[in-house]
Amino acid sequence: MNCHHFNKTTTRRDMLRASACGFGHVILSALAGGSAQAAPNLKPHLAPRAKRIIFLFMWGGPSQVDTFDPKPQLNNHDGTPLSGKDIGRGDKSLGTILGSPFKFAPHGQSGVVMSELFPSLAKHADKVCVVRSMHTNGSAHGEALLRLHTGQANLVRPSVGAWVSYGLGSESDNLPAFLTISPPRGHGGVQNYGNAFLPARHQGMAIGSAEIPIAKAVIPNLSNARLDASLQRGQLDLIQSLNRKHLSDAKVDQGIEGLIASYELAYRMQSSVPQIMSVDDESVATRELYGIDAEPTDNFGRQCLLARKFAERGVRYIQVSTDYTWDHHNKVKQGSIDESAKVDRPIAGLLEDLEQRGLLDDTLVLWGGEFGRTPMVENGDGRNHHPQAFTVWMAGGGVKPGLTYGVTDDFGYRPVENPVHMHDLHATLLHALGLDHEQLTYRHAGRDFRLTDVYGNVIHDLLS
Amino acid sequence: MNSYLNCPQDTDGPMVFQYRVMRFRLTIFVVIWVAALSLAQGEVPDPSDPIAGRDHWAFQPLKASVSKSRADWSRTAIDDFIMAGLLKAELGPVSDAEPRALLRRVTFQLIGLPPTPQQVRDYLEDTRPDAFERVVDQLLDSPRFGERWGRHWLDLARYADSNGLDENFLFREAWRYRNWVIDAVNKNLPFDQFVLNQIAGDLLPYDTIEERDRQRIAGGFLVIGPKVLLGNNTNNQRMEVADEQIDTIGRAFLGLTVGCARCHDHKFEPIPTADYYALAGILTSTTVMEQRHMLGQQRVMERLVGLGAKGDDSDATYEQYWRDLPNKKRALKEAKLALDSLKKKDGEGLSVPEQQAKVDALKKVIDSPPAIPPRAMIPCDVDSPGDEAIRIAGQFDRKGEKVSRGYLKVMSDEGAKIAEGQSGRRELGRWLTDVETGAGRLTARVTANRVWHHLIGRGLVRTVDNFGRTGEMPSHPELLDRLAGELVESGWSMKALVRKIVLSRTFALSSEHDEASHAIDPDNKLIWRAHRRRLDPESIRDAMLVAANQLNLEWTDSTVSYLGDQATAVGQNKNRRRTDFPCRSVYLPVIRNDLPELFEVFDFADPHAATGARPKTTAATQGLFLLNDEMVMDAAEAMEQRLGAHSDDSEKIERLFEWTFSAPPADDERDEMLDYIRMTTNRLKTDGDPEPNKRAWAMACHAVLSTSRFQYLE
Repeated sequence: MNCHHFNKTTTRRDMLRASACGFGHVILSALAGGSAQAAPNLKPHLAPRAKRIIFLFMWGGPSQVDTFDPKPQLNNHDGTPLSGKDIGRGDKSLGTILGSPFKFAPHGQSGVVMSELFPSLAKHADKVCVVRSMHTNGSAHGEALLRLHTGQANLVRPSVGAWVSYGLGSESDNLPAFLTISPPRGHGGVQNYGNAFLPARHQGMAIGSAEIPIAKAVIPNLSNARLDASLQRGQLDLIQSLNRKHLSDAKVDQGIEGLIASYELAYRMQSSVPQIMSVDDESVATRELYGIDAEPTDNFGRQCLLARKFAERGVRYIQVSTDYTWDHHNKVKQGSIDESAKVDRPIAGLLEDLEQRGLLDDTLVLWGGEFGRTPMVENGDGRNHHPQAFTVWMAGGGVKPGLTYGVTDDFGYRPVENPVHMHDLHATLLHALGLDHEQLTYRHAGRDFRLTDVYGNVIHDLLS
Repeated sequence: MNSYLNCPQDTDGPMVFQYRVMRFRLTIFVVIWVAALSLAQGEVPDPSDPIAGRDHWAFQPLKASVSKSRADWSRTAIDDFIMAGLLKAELGPVSDAEPRALLRRVTFQLIGLPPTPQQVRDYLEDTRPDAFERVVDQLLDSPRFGERWGRHWLDLARYADSNGLDENFLFREAWRYRNWVIDAVNKNLPFDQFVLNQIAGDLLPYDTIEERDRQRIAGGFLVIGPKVLLGNNTNNQRMEVADEQIDTIGRAFLGLTVGCARCHDHKFEPIPTADYYALAGILTSTTVMEQRHMLGQQRVMERLVGLGAKGDDSDATYEQYWRDLPNKKRALKEAKLALDSLKKKDGEGLSVPEQQAKVDALKKVIDSPPAIPPRAMIPCDVDSPGDEAIRIAGQFDRKGEKVSRGYLKVMSDEGAKIAEGQSGRRELGRWLTDVETGAGRLTARVTANRVWHHLIGRGLVRTVDNFGRTGEMPSHPELLDRLAGELVESGWSMKALVRKIVLSRTFALSSEHDEASHAIDPDNKLIWRAHRRRLDPESIRDAMLVAANQLNLEWTDSTVSYLGDQATAVGQNKNRRRTDFPCRSVYLPVIRNDLPELFEVFDFADPHAATGARPKTTAATQGLFLLNDEMVMDAAEAMEQRLGAHSDDSEKIERLFEWTFSAPPADDERDEMLDYIRMTTNRLKTDGDPEPNKRAWAMACHAVLSTSRFQYLE
C-alpha cells in the first residue's frame, strides 16, 4: 500500500464518482456561493433537538415592557423619576418612568403572558418559551446588530447562520444552508450574514433587502434582461464548448472544470430559485393563514411563507427581517401597535403551518430584536435603546413549550434572575442543533475561532 | 461576499483538508509531547518566550547562499534554486511558454491589462535577444504598473472608502491615500520609505507644503481602518483602534498575528502580552480620531486635516459652519417669529423691513454651506504621549503593569529610543525595515514572498500572511532569503525585485500539464510548470472595457463624492455607490459591506482586514454575473460596434480573439463561432428581430468574454 496516498489530489470528477450523493453535492456547495467541490458533511457533536432555525428579526428593538414582560410598577409610577435605588444600582436618576398602555393577560394552559399586541400569537402561547432576562452589549443599533448576528462588533466574525452552515452543511441539494430574507442594509449590513473567515459557501444568500417589499425582491443577475431562455442556452452552449476545448488543451485543471460545472449550475438556478421564491402555487387557505393579500400583513406574511418553503427544502438557518421600524424613540404606543399588527398574524400562521406540516418538531423559531427599550420615557412618548434587559421567545424544535424564563426587576430595567447574555443564547441555539459551541471552531490566522469567543453557557433549562 | 481565507482552502480537495487536519493534530501532538518532555526535565516551555522564539526560521538573519544546478537551463540565480529543487525530487521543468502566452501573462501581471494587438505583433517580430527585457522595462515604467501593484498593497492596507462595521460612514477623503499608494509605487519609492511614510508620514521633516501633504496623506494608512463608532466608551475605543492597527501592521509588514497577544501571551508565537502593549503604547500615543460635527451632531470621527498652505483655516471655517448651523437655524426660527409679530404690529424694536433683512441674511448663511475644502485622513501624536499598561484579559478597564513603549523582542533586544513628548511612531516605522536591530529581515522575507506570490501565483511560503510557527515553511528557503537579501541591498527597490523575478526562466515556464510531475508534485510546490491563474475582478473588468475600447486611462480622483455621509444608509438608499465609471477598476468605490457586485463575486479582498492572498473560489454567482450582468453585455455590444469596421466574418473572429485572448482562433474554433453566428442570426430573423446579424455578433462577443480562456492566464 502506498503510504503517501493522501498526497494524491482528488479531482472533482473523482469526487463525483465516489460520492453517493452524486452531482447534487456539487450543486449544493457551489450554490452556496462556494467552490464547486463537495463539502465535508460534518456530524453534529450532540444529539440534535432541531434541524434548522428560523429567526424572526424585529429590527430596531421592540419594547419588552409593552409586549412580553409586564411591569405594573411602571403604570403605578408613570411620570415619576426612576432612581438607581429602585433597581438596586446606585442612586443616580435614570429618567422618568413611562407606563405601558397595553393590557397583559396569561394565555393557553401554560399561562404565558403576552400583551394585547399579539392576539394571534396568543393562541399559540403553549408553543412558546419566553426569555425575559436577555441582555447584550452595544447601545447603538450597529454594534448591537453585529453582536446579535455575529457575537462581536469590533472585529469581522462569521454570522450565526454561517457557523450553522459550517457545522452542519446543507440538507438541501439545490439551496445553500443559510438564507436571509430581506436583510438590513445598514448597521453592519452584509456583515450580519457574512462568512468572514469561513469558506465563502457559508455566507448567507440574501433575498432582497429590508427596505424593499419581498414581492419585488430580486437576486442580482438571476435573469437576463436581453436574452430569452433558448437564446441564452444557445449562447451558453457556445461558451461551454470553448471552455471544454480549453480544458482539453489544459488536460487537467480543477479550476476550469469547476468553472464549467458552475455555469451549468448558474443556468439551472435561473429557473429553480424563482420557482421556490414564488408563493403563487400556495393554496388560498395557506395564503390567508399568513395574512398574504391583506394589509398590513402581506409583506411579512410572504416573508414567513418563504421561510417555511426554505425550511421544507432543508435550509438550516433562515432569517426573516422586518424593516427598520421597531425603533420607537417617539410614539412607542402607536409604533408598537403598527409594527405588531404587521407581524402578529404572519408569525401565528408560520407556527401553525409548520405544525400542520410536521416541521415544528425540528424547526426552532426564534423571535427578537437587537436590544430592548427603556422603561423610561424619551421625547415625551417614546422609549430609548436598552441592551440591559429585553425579551426574546422561541418555539418548536427542542425548546420547552409554555415556559417563561428569567425575571427582570420591577421596572424591567435589568435581569435579576437567570440572566441570559447574547453569547448564552448563541450557545443554546447551537446546542439545540446538536453543536457544541466550544467545539465548533475554525482555525484562522493561527488560532481557533468560535461563535461565542471565550464566553457563553448553554441554558439547558430552556431546552426540552 | 468573499471571505478572509488566506490559504486557498476552497480550491483544495477534501483530501488536502484532511491532510491539514492531520498536520494540525500532529502539530498539537508534538507541542504536547515537547511540553511533556520538558516537564520531565523540570521546565515548562513557554511558546510566547521571545528569546527562545528566535530559533524560528523567519526571525533568523538572512542567509546568502548560491545554488549551481543546470547552467544550460538557468537564466538567473532564481532558476538555479528552482532547478535544484526539481532535480532533488527527480523532476524536470516543462517547456517554456509560447511567446503570446508569456506576453499576455507578463502584461496582466505587471499592469493588469492585456497587451494591445500591436504590442503582440511587435513582440513576435522582435528578434533581438533582449526583446522580452524591453517589454518588461516598458511595463515597469508604465503608469499602469502602480495601478496594479498599488492595488496589491491596498489589499494589505484594508483600503476602503467607508468605515464599515456598525456605522458605515463615508470616508470621503480616503481616495487621496489610495492615489498616494499608486503614485508611490509608480515612482518606485523605496519600500522602507514607503513603510515609514505610512506609519509616521505626519512626523517627518519636509521642504515644501506639497511634500508635507504627501507624507501626511501616506499616514492615512493608520486612519482608514474600520472602527466601532457609536460605542460608549472612548477609552475602550482608543484600545480598539490601536488593536486594529497592531493587527494590520502585524499582518501587512511582519506576517504575524500580533493581535492574538492582546488578552494573553500568544499561544503559538513568541509574542508575550508585554510586547503587544509595548506596541500599543506607541499607537495609543497617536490619535486618528477627532470630534466633528456630522449629520446634526458632534461625533467622534476619523481625523481630517486641511491640505495646502491655508488648509487648517479652510478646514476650521468649514467645520465652524456645521457647528453653528443648529444655532443659526434656531436664530432664524426666532427671527421669523419676531417678523410675524412685527407684521401683526404687536412687536417692539426693529421695523418690518429691518427684521426682514435679518431673516434674509440668516437664510442666506444657512443656504450657502461652504464647499468641502481639500483635506485628508491624517493621524497625529496625542498631547502627552506615554507608555501603556497591560490590560488584563484584554479588558480596557482592567489595568495591569505598565510597559515601556517598544517592539517585538523576538526580533532583537534593542528597545525603542523615543524622545520625550513623542509617540514613537517614527522609530517604529524605521524598526520595521531595520535589518540589523529591527524587524527588517522578517519584513524583507514577507515582502519578497508577496511579490513572488503575485507573479508566480503562490508564495514560496504559501501562508503569505503567516510567517509564524503556525504558518507553512518555505518551499525554497534559500531562494526566499536571497530574494529578501537582494531586496534590501537594492535599497528596497520593489521594481528591481519584480524585474528580477519576471526575467527568470521560472516565470517563463508554460502551464502545460505533465502526468509524471503531477503524480509526484500535484500542488506544483517545486514549480515544474507555471500555475494557471484566474484574473482578478479588476483585470476582468478592465480587459472587457479595453476590448470594448471604452476604458478611460486617466488618473481618477474620488468616485464617491456624490454619496451622502452614510455610505450604506438605513432605509431607502437611492444614493448608492456607482460602478458605471469608465475608469480602471482600482478607482471604483470600495464601500465596506457594499462592494461592487463584480468585486463581491470574484473574490476581491474583504476591506475589513489586511489580505495578502485573496480567496480563490469558483461559484455559480460568477457564472450568473458573466451571463447576465448589464456591464458585460454593454461591453459586448461595444465590441460588436468595433467589429463593424471589418467586413469579412473570419477577420472579425480574428480580431475578437486578438482582443480577448491575445491569440488567433484555432480553425475549429473559428468554424464554431461562424456556425453559431449563422444559426443565431437565422433564429433572430425568424423572431422578427430588426438587426439579427448585429445581435448575433454581440452575443458571440458576450460569449467570448464569458469563456474560461478569457478569465485565465496560462
